[in-house]
Amino acid sequence: MKRFKLLAAAAGILSTAIVLFSCSKSGSSPNPNPGGGTGSDTVLVNLGTNIIVPSYQVLASSTAALDVAVTGFNASPSGATLATVQSALKSAYKAWAACSEFEFGPAADASLTTHFTNSFPTDTLLIRSNAGGASYAIDGIGNYAAQGFPALDYLLFANGNDITLARFTTDSHAAGAKTYLAALSASLKAKAATVNTAWSASGGNYLAKFEKATGVDAGSALSLLANAYVQDFDVNLQNYKVGIPIGLYGPSVLPKAPTKVEGYYGALSVQLLVAQVLAIQNIYLGGSGGSLDDKVAASKAQYNGGSLNDAIKAQIATLLTKIQALPDPLSTGIQNNSSAITDAYTEVRKLTVLLKVDMPSALGIKISFQDDDGD
Amino acid sequence: MVTKNYFTRYRHIAPLAVLRIAFGAVLFISTIRFLAKGWVHDFYIVPRFHFPFYGFGWVHPMGATGMYTLYWVMALAALLICIGLFYRVAAPVFFLCFVYAELLDKTYYLNHYYFVTICSFLLILVPANRYCSIDILRKPSLKVTQTPAWTILLFKYQLCIVYCCAGLSKLTRDWLIDAMPLRIWLPARSSIPLIGPLLRYEWTAYFFSWAGGLFDLSIVFLLLARPTRRIGYVLVIVFHVLTAVLFQIGMFPWLMMSATIVFFSEDFHVGLIRKARALFVGGGAANKHESRDRSLPAESPVYFQPRHQKILFGLLGVYFLLQILLPFRFLLYPGNLLWTEEGYRFSWRVMLMEKGGTTFFYVKDPATGRKSEVNNSAWLTAYQERMMETQPDMMLQYAHILKKQYQQQGIASPEVTVQSFVTLNGSGSRLYIDSTVNLAEEQESWLGHKKWILSFTNKPNP
Repeated sequence: MKRFKLLAAAAGILSTAIVLFSCSKSGSSPNPNPGGGTGSDTVLVNLGTNIIVPSYQVLASSTAALDVAVTGFNASPSGATLATVQSALKSAYKAWAACSEFEFGPAADASLTTHFTNSFPTDTLLIRSNAGGASYAIDGIGNYAAQGFPALDYLLFANGNDITLARFTTDSHAAGAKTYLAALSASLKAKAATVNTAWSASGGNYLAKFEKATGVDAGSALSLLANAYVQDFDVNLQNYKVGIPIGLYGPSVLPKAPTKVEGYYGALSVQLLVAQVLAIQNIYLGGSGGSLDDKVAASKAQYNGGSLNDAIKAQIATLLTKIQALPDPLSTGIQNNSSAITDAYTEVRKLTVLLKVDMPSALGIKISFQDDDGD
Repeated sequence: MVTKNYFTRYRHIAPLAVLRIAFGAVLFISTIRFLAKGWVHDFYIVPRFHFPFYGFGWVHPMGATGMYTLYWVMALAALLICIGLFYRVAAPVFFLCFVYAELLDKTYYLNHYYFVTICSFLLILVPANRYCSIDILRKPSLKVTQTPAWTILLFKYQLCIVYCCAGLSKLTRDWLIDAMPLRIWLPARSSIPLIGPLLRYEWTAYFFSWAGGLFDLSIVFLLLARPTRRIGYVLVIVFHVLTAVLFQIGMFPWLMMSATIVFFSEDFHVGLIRKARALFVGGGAANKHESRDRSLPAESPVYFQPRHQKILFGLLGVYFLLQILLPFRFLLYPGNLLWTEEGYRFSWRVMLMEKGGTTFFYVKDPATGRKSEVNNSAWLTAYQERMMETQPDMMLQYAHILKKQYQQQGIASPEVTVQSFVTLNGSGSRLYIDSTVNLAEEQESWLGHKKWILSFTNKPNP
């Protein structure tokens, strides 16, 4: 009997405590934390509805437009149709820069990830071999370095417009090149459509799932998003788009490698960098709705005597200015040892630390599923 | 006749049997959970490198088959401990398997794994299988009803050390004055049902900080004193259930709730066993057992050879002295303990830090002067990397891993440096390690201070 009394007492106290807690809601108003509220999070709703879903809509429509342009180009390759398809590629590539921050959920499921979509430098030998009649699976695991935007960049820009046109007209493998070009854009279009549908309310409605996954544990929407967002900046932008080309990052001690910039053949690096930093800024600020900035502000986290939120906003702005002033094309700037690039890299590094260390810490986000005793 | 003192006088063995069953059950569930989550694979099979504890560099993981076998053996041993079958073998087997796994990689160190290590060691020393177990059905001559008091006191003393040290470690400015890190963690949980909305208030963090500290410091005294024991155990349940709801701390609450049962009186435990028997065996059988029990106490004590007991007391004295000293070894080091983490582990410091960091490791070939940044994810798993990025001793181990790998790539004496930024309890990130020091040439030592950890008071990342 004693034991049951004890358990009853425990249950009684626990439920009293909970009732007391939940009843004492009135009184002084809490921190204006937009992340609060039971069962919903206005920040997740805003990010999902007004940032992520529209980004994928743009990617889906721009890759569809790219595919149309490719079809038109393949039907009658000319200076005019080449210009159309090149411009369509630029738009779609920039749309990707605003989606590479969300590599979780539907994007991961559909392999619409940097690994398959934006592995650069692209494998030109493999592309030529595929176009030359070798058998290939366009989305095959072994084909990751010969697909996506970098492969399109190579086929549509390498060695100038005359040689590019010749590649699709007079070259002995012109037919194969057309087929490969069509396969590349069709694959991108299909994946973007899949992910767009998976997020949309009328499709898979991952949006609803995302909005409901509140909290900060591993697997919560905020943890998934913050992790992917930081990863995109830290690894894709800092290491691959800048660090490796300028020779400061790599698996072994390497010299600088200007041809390893993103969008090398079309000299797209700087505009793509600007597009990505703008996306990073847009996600952080959340447009007119609540976003990471409000959560960081509500945490009252400090940085160097001021508020962390102000520090992050200022650093994104500083970086944007530096990136916009980069020598274009970036590869030439690297060859000329442009100090603007190393300056920009320093600012990238500062933002990496703020986003990777300070922001998750201020928000109390857990990345790993492993148990944790806070040490 | 040997005179009986406070430690050697006989007590009823029921508390020990209940502890064995409850703790064994939690160990079993915990081990199965570990297997089910795929952590054997993620922690011991996937990683290319490991971070063994200092002095245990010779301990290496086995292959996949070996590691899975180890964990299944561990699960079986835990089950056998729980039901009390082949206990004298099962208890040491569990302990050895668990210690081996823990020594492999400090990435996965948690205070509750340390607690399991310790308790499973103490369980080896006591005759917890001599009552209410399968062993006594198997071999009725094993059954006893009385055991020397020390076999139960061991666990109470151990729990006293755990809670008191946990409480003392909270008497800091961060915890009491700034309500850190709860002021970060609680608002982050404001979307949980019922108590969620309350967690947004700053005073809630202060309340939880002070209440938590007070709980840790006072709970063992409430449990030791008979009049407050019940309310004490109710507090144990409330406290640990709350932490289980609020934080991602796995089995810790359940381990503590099962272990603290040992504080209850022997009458309580005898009654508990009697009720459980009635439930499973039926009333008649229970009465039979009970009447047999009644006739037993005076004549069936477990016998320890006085000489053996004396030696054991000596060893346990040393053991408890170490248990008390270890948490205070941090006093040997300069600087902020939470920042340097020198003397942090094995000290029952839980929930004290919201700490995040990132590292940029560089390898330089002095022969050519060329320097490049290392891709950490090429060598470490994401979890290893993240744990390494806030712990200086792991950074040092990693630097030595890099040294060896780059030597194999043909750089005779690679210089390894790190630019590391860490934030602690909302301090804002700042430089953590002296980035001019070649970590490849630095060595780990027993209790030695790492001079290359920068002071917490240094300026933030400029």
